[in-house]
Amino acid sequence: MAALGNRVAALGRIRLLRSSVFIQCRYSNTLPEATVEKHRKSKLAQDPEESETESLVAPRDYKYVYPEFLPDPKPQYRDRIREKLEHEDMFRRRTVLKIPEFYVGSILAVLVSDPYAPGKKNRFVGICINRSGHGLRSQFTLRNVVDGQGMEITYELYNPTIQGIEVLKLEKRLDPHLFYLRDALPEYSTIPFDFEPVPHPPGATIPVNPVKVKLRPRPWHERWERQDLQGLQDLELPERFYERAREVAKPWEKYDLMKQYRESINDDDAAKIMGYVYKKIQELEKTKER
Amino acid sequence: MAASMMSWRLSVSLRCGQSASFQQLDIFARVLAQPHLTQLHITRGARRTCKAAPWLSKRTVDHKLNEEVLTTESKEFLKNVAIERFKERMANSPLKDAPAERHQWTPKSLRTGVLAIKLGVIPQWTKDGHRFTCTLLQVLDNHVVRYIPPEEFSKYPSFKKKWRKNIFGSLVVGALSTDPFKFSKGYNNLCAKVGLPPKRKLTRFLVTPDAAVEPGTPLKATHFKVGDYVDCQAKTIGHGFQGVVKRWGFKGGPASHGTTKWHRRTGNIGGGRNKAAVWKGRKMPGHMGMEWRTLKALKIWRINTKYNVLYVMGQNVPGPVHCYVRVMDSRTLFRRKERIQRPPHMPTFYPEDVDEPLPEEIFDEEMFKFTEPSITFTDKKDK
Amino acid sequence: MLRFRYRFRQRNLPSAEGTGSGPAGRISKMRKLVTALIRHERIEGKHPYLDEARGYAERLIDEAVRNGDQHKPTMEIANYWLLEKDLLHKLFKVLVPRYENASTSYTKMWNLPTVYPGGGYHMALLELRNNPWPDVIPQQREVKNNLINVLIKAAKEDHEKNQQLTEHKQSEFTDQSTDTGTTTSQSP
Repeated sequence: MAALGNRVAALGRIRLLRSSVFIQCRYSNTLPEATVEKHRKSKLAQDPEESETESLVAPRDYKYVYPEFLPDPKPQYRDRIREKLEHEDMFRRRTVLKIPEFYVGSILAVLVSDPYAPGKKNRFVGICINRSGHGLRSQFTLRNVVDGQGMEITYELYNPTIQGIEVLKLEKRLDPHLFYLRDALPEYSTIPFDFEPVPHPPGATIPVNPVKVKLRPRPWHERWERQDLQGLQDLELPERFYERAREVAKPWEKYDLMKQYRESINDDDAAKIMGYVYKKIQELEKTKER
Repeated sequence: MAASMMSWRLSVSLRCGQSASFQQLDIFARVLAQPHLTQLHITRGARRTCKAAPWLSKRTVDHKLNEEVLTTESKEFLKNVAIERFKERMANSPLKDAPAERHQWTPKSLRTGVLAIKLGVIPQWTKDGHRFTCTLLQVLDNHVVRYIPPEEFSKYPSFKKKWRKNIFGSLVVGALSTDPFKFSKGYNNLCAKVGLPPKRKLTRFLVTPDAAVEPGTPLKATHFKVGDYVDCQAKTIGHGFQGVVKRWGFKGGPASHGTTKWHRRTGNIGGGRNKAAVWKGRKMPGHMGMEWRTLKALKIWRINTKYNVLYVMGQNVPGPVHCYVRVMDSRTLFRRKERIQRPPHMPTFYPEDVDEPLPEEIFDEEMFKFTEPSITFTDKKDK
Repeated sequence: MLRFRYRFRQRNLPSAEGTGSGPAGRISKMRKLVTALIRHERIEGKHPYLDEARGYAERLIDEAVRNGDQHKPTMEIANYWLLEKDLLHKLFKVLVPRYENASTSYTKMWNLPTVYPGGGYHMALLELRNNPWPDVIPQQREVKNNLINVLIKAAKEDHEKNQQLTEHKQSEFTDQSTDTGTTTSQSP
């Protein structure tokens, strides 16, 4: 400690360290987001932006019910006003079209207007195997097997050609995506087009389907044994496959707090956004009741 | 006594007041406030530079000393006084006394542009279900800082030889009002003359005299109309020194099959036979990006008047998010001719011109509004 | 939420534990640094390493403050990051109460001079806030009684007085006008 004290005294003056990325040559002529935010609310501006009214506290599961409202976590793409304008467009669309709550594993029917289809409409039924994208770009993928041929259609959630989205069976699966159904036996993704809707009482918990899928023998689209997937039966591979999987596994990523932080919207930001969403959704429901 | 001394002190420390008792500094400021401060391109040999030219006077002030000396209370007081002063000045702006003479738009007149900030890219749809992407540009706190008429401007050192003389004047537009304490007195006085706080970024547009705008006028997103075509000019993202594969998209060499040290190389650069020369314009490794680029004739699909946001066609407006973008009327021949049918606001949009305030969102006719019902297609034969 | 400016991309630190130690070596080094920081509350080292470790330490304390010691996943994370298990008690019993109502970051970082001869590395010092050690910069200078501050204070008082005066005059003026207005309206 004494040695440190001497060194500090010898230094005379220590500069405070700013550990963030400085604006480099790569981003000259560009402002950091915080500076733009400061200028939007600056008292010196011609007409400064008014501070927002306090938003409500949303229920905890809102992050999972409306995942498309969370923006892209990459900080170089984020902007408050852009997100806000995007959200406004999304709520305007929701006043016209009822976009129900659904998850990966739910069975959906989608009605789309199509200029090339007979009757100018097309209805597709399938199991939702993925949800991706943020804001107006958010999309979901439906999979079905029709006449022995696997079919997948990706729909944009806010595309104005969508006439209706109907949830036939509301449930979750054990995994965040179901791409392995492409390599599974066809009966796991075959859904008849006249599938009868299973009623789901409002407010009830969403059931989790614990079905374990049996895959066809190799070759596959991906090396499923290397992914941490819960919804798969024993893959029946030779031992060398599992050995290799153990070699390339990254068990520390579960505890890599900064990696998780960088790749997701943090809790405080998410709570703020979801509070705004909660307020808007409540307003929507009130107008519909009238 | 203390108060009178303080008022003198204050005018010095504010660096924007024009105190009679401190004439020397005032003259110095006038010398500093030469037009070359507002020059956009600084050309001195290097193609790209980050640093300002050494002969220019410093824009900012190193106020670390002040930070150490002043208490937080005094800092706050000085800041509040500055805000009060500028509020007063902006209220008594020169616009109120003498509004500039206004002219009709002619095909030869060239209007000013605005200095926007890029916010990002979002998808939108047309009424026939076609998806396209829009870039959002926010016109944040823009003001006209000064106007130099053509006769005077053509004598300036910053006047380029290729421009025709006595036709274009220069109009300086500033964006983002900032804290006057951070800037030098010379820089502060550029804006203080027209009653504005100092601007973080200045840029210059060429204008014809009939499109001159009175200094001090705010510029908004409504400077443009929906359906207009604009040119967007900005600095592209910098990538540093890059090889030939990333910079020019060369194929490189194979990854395996006995290849050694020949994966991302450029190959032969000579002319062949006995020419013994590398021809000019040969694609080689070098610095990539961070250059001024213009994207021309982009349609404005939608305008948000509350946040002053322009929705401009395309996802490839140069630069990263939150970069400055110069947005101006498109100069392409076809769009110039088109403008004869629907002339723009001249010289800019004044809210006094319209009886009712503009709606919050202005859409193009072909654009799908999200409040409309879903798109349905009908058979043409039925009609 | 992290309350300090962190890098958008992590440093890979490819030779954190010897050449070729890779990402596993990096995370192992980070664990050692975080443990040392929680133990000693002030550590010295190479700047890039400490800068990376700072994020992990902040996130660990943040999780502990948010969820407390009854939350199983948090306890699992803390158990992973703290190599010496007695520090678990320190984290939840000492640091959590200390930072419960914090409005700033939990750690602080300082630049240190590069040492020659040596590796020539950019050195730094990382510490927890409100630690029991003496301050890094020993004494802050008292600037309240500087001439410029005294003068500004006087000017502030003058300014306030002037404002009050103008307000008073305005109010008097408006009172008179309203009085006359009422009298004229009553007279007919």
